Amino acid sequence: MAKTKQEKLDAKAEKQYYRSHKKSHKLSFGDVTFNVIDYVFFGVFTLLCFFPFYFLFINTISNNDLVQRGQITFYPKGINFDNYIAMLNVSDLGNAFLISIARTIIGTIVMVLATAFVGYLVTKKEMWGRKFWYRFLVITMYFNAGTIPWFLNMSMLGLTNNFLAYIIPGIVAPYNIILVKTYIESIPGELEESALIDGAGFFTVWRKIIFPLSKPILATIAIFGAVGHWNSFTDSLILMQNAPELFTLQHRLYIYLNTSSNLAQVMSTGGSAASNAAASMMNQKVLKYTISMVTVIPILVVYPFMNRYFEKGIMLGAVKG
Amino acid sequence: MKYEISSKEKRAEVVLWISRVATFLSVFLLFFPQASPTRITSLIGKNVSLFTSAVSYGTLTSEMGRALNRGWLSYFSITILYIGAVLILLGIIAAVVCACTSLGNLRLKKFGMPFGVGGALAAILGLVLVYISYTQVLLTDRPEKVEPSFPGGFFVYAFLILVILITSIITLIMLPKADKNEKFYMEPKFKLFLMFLPFAMLCFVFSYLPLYGWRYAFFDYSAGGTLSADNFVGFKWFTNLFQSEATKADVVRVLRNTLAMSGLGIATSWLPMAFAIFLNEIKVGWFKRIVQTFTTIPNFISWVLVYAIALAIFSTDGFINTAFGGDTNYLMGNHLIWLKMLAWGTWKGIGWSAIIYIAGISGIDQQLYEAATVDGAGRFQKMWHVTVPGLLPTYFVMLLMSVANVLSNGMDQYLVFKNAQNVSTIEVLDLYVYTLGIQNGNIPLSTVIGMVKSVVSVVLLFGANGISKAIRGESIV
Repeated sequence: MAKTKQEKLDAKAEKQYYRSHKKSHKLSFGDVTFNVIDYVFFGVFTLLCFFPFYFLFINTISNNDLVQRGQITFYPKGINFDNYIAMLNVSDLGNAFLISIARTIIGTIVMVLATAFVGYLVTKKEMWGRKFWYRFLVITMYFNAGTIPWFLNMSMLGLTNNFLAYIIPGIVAPYNIILVKTYIESIPGELEESALIDGAGFFTVWRKIIFPLSKPILATIAIFGAVGHWNSFTDSLILMQNAPELFTLQHRLYIYLNTSSNLAQVMSTGGSAASNAAASMMNQKVLKYTISMVTVIPILVVYPFMNRYFEKGIMLGAVKG
Repeated sequence: MKYEISSKEKRAEVVLWISRVATFLSVFLLFFPQASPTRITSLIGKNVSLFTSAVSYGTLTSEMGRALNRGWLSYFSITILYIGAVLILLGIIAAVVCACTSLGNLRLKKFGMPFGVGGALAAILGLVLVYISYTQVLLTDRPEKVEPSFPGGFFVYAFLILVILITSIITLIMLPKADKNEKFYMEPKFKLFLMFLPFAMLCFVFSYLPLYGWRYAFFDYSAGGTLSADNFVGFKWFTNLFQSEATKADVVRVLRNTLAMSGLGIATSWLPMAFAIFLNEIKVGWFKRIVQTFTTIPNFISWVLVYAIALAIFSTDGFINTAFGGDTNYLMGNHLIWLKMLAWGTWKGIGWSAIIYIAGISGIDQQLYEAATVDGAGRFQKMWHVTVPGLLPTYFVMLLMSVANVLSNGMDQYLVFKNAQNVSTIEVLDLYVYTLGIQNGNIPLSTVIGMVKSVVSVVLLFGANGISKAIRGESIV
């Protein structure tokens, strides 16, 4: 007991010593100027990154007339959430939202499972032609045929105006496969070997041992995959030309942003009577802001949870070698 | 546990290889429209392969709506054709099962062979249906519209399927009876390979097969047209790139935009490193965390959303104008558009790109800093002489990658910010290819441009890799 007390005292003394030492160390004028500039710069830049989202948000929850007159700049007035409720009645938006959610969830799950499995397979030295097949996958990262051949190929495969076009091409993701392979190679091999000797098949070993052990890296690629799916826009633009019901939310937002003048016209393209009524309650500006918020909110909501995986992901990418 | 191969099995192995090759070819040719046995009239799109015919009835019939409505073609014949295509596809899938199991032990082979026979029979039935459909189509009263033609692919598939049928039957007879007590077994190397095969197929179909689309560069092709010896034009579109004044002017303009914006990007590629170094000088933990969190967010939103934000802030009724008065739409016009695009790119990406350098800084040996302090180095000297050299290798890799990507700045950003007034200065190569090919339907020329771009990019990448190898002894790809 006494000893721990003594230790505490020591620690306290040490702290005090450092504090006084720090104080006695005078900051030069240059240091102070530098610090001020540094803090101000980062403060301002952070505001620049934060304010646009805040601005959109306060405009969507304020009184619509004030928004239209441009009187909402720094804080909301007349707070209400009617705009978001009205959004629920705009049918093509709800549909686009569902499409985006569906492709994000299905696409990510399929991609992660496939990547986890392929990443495991390419670590197996016994595989027939492993080196060749691994290169066969990896080399595709460095070339692509171009937009037009890609589009013609997709249409040849029957993947235009087809929901599967969002899912299937993303199943094999070479970069993610490299990440998973590198990770699995860092797992000690004994567990797997003993399981194989016990007569377990490769698939069982993967499912029972490798997959649970590689969860951290899978979480990382899942997050990147999900963000990619959610933000994906050109595939909807190019491949779904004749299937408006399959447009993603990003594509819808793009259409809304570009329809400049006539609100009624926006709504009449695929909108029902109910959605027209809902839209007429909002003015065009508010409509755009609200759709933008609806599109960005999912990202902002999951962002804090995915934050901790970022660094891991980007560092693994850097050392891929 | 390695199983013994009898001499009979060894002899059967030769036949099996023939069968496997035939199966492989029949799968491979599924994706090539020219080899499709189903193209019995010119009303079937020239981009429709056997695979398309079997999986998508809609694509198969997409160009024959009028013919079907007017009765030039009977629904019966097309339905028969579709069923035939499905049967051929299913037959080939069964043949694939047979080819896969043939890599296993005797029991597994014996198990799989009936699939080969059955599959081949189903595919033959499919071919017969296709032929019936063809005879139906021949009966049309408007042959000049329907243009029936007997597809060469029919013979190719008839041959391949016969080979599969015969080899399967031969092996079935040749192979000795399997011991009922014997377990299904396959060598691990083949087992692993077969597990991998579906993914290799996907990779082939989505990454390699599009290269076959480069053939459009050598034809006078418009959507729905044909690729044949008649409109083969050799390198016409390539020379057009240099000879047609209009095209040349366009390409030069687009290239200038591309290189200018990529060049600006490369010239400012040190910004994330500086961002990280200066952020590292901030010693207040919570402030640092807040800065890092908020500056990373923009990386995770799409360019469409960035544009939505741009509208909210900079358009006529946006934040700038309402808060400070005025009615300028900063998004129209092409004034300083390259710099504006650079600014948006930086806003979106800098916090994210800095992460790798922040991690790099924490990896620098602390003793270096201590030694520098002992030697009397001040704060800036330490930043310049310790931190910067520590990060340079990473920066070098990033720089080389951005040089290799000089022609590919993506189209999202420029597509969303494009408008009638700034289109001439904002259009980059990727966007131009999209506009030209997808919107204006000039498929050959846009394919040519895409081809040249892909080839140049690959050359640049390997050039950059070579430089990296020569200077640092490490490759970047």
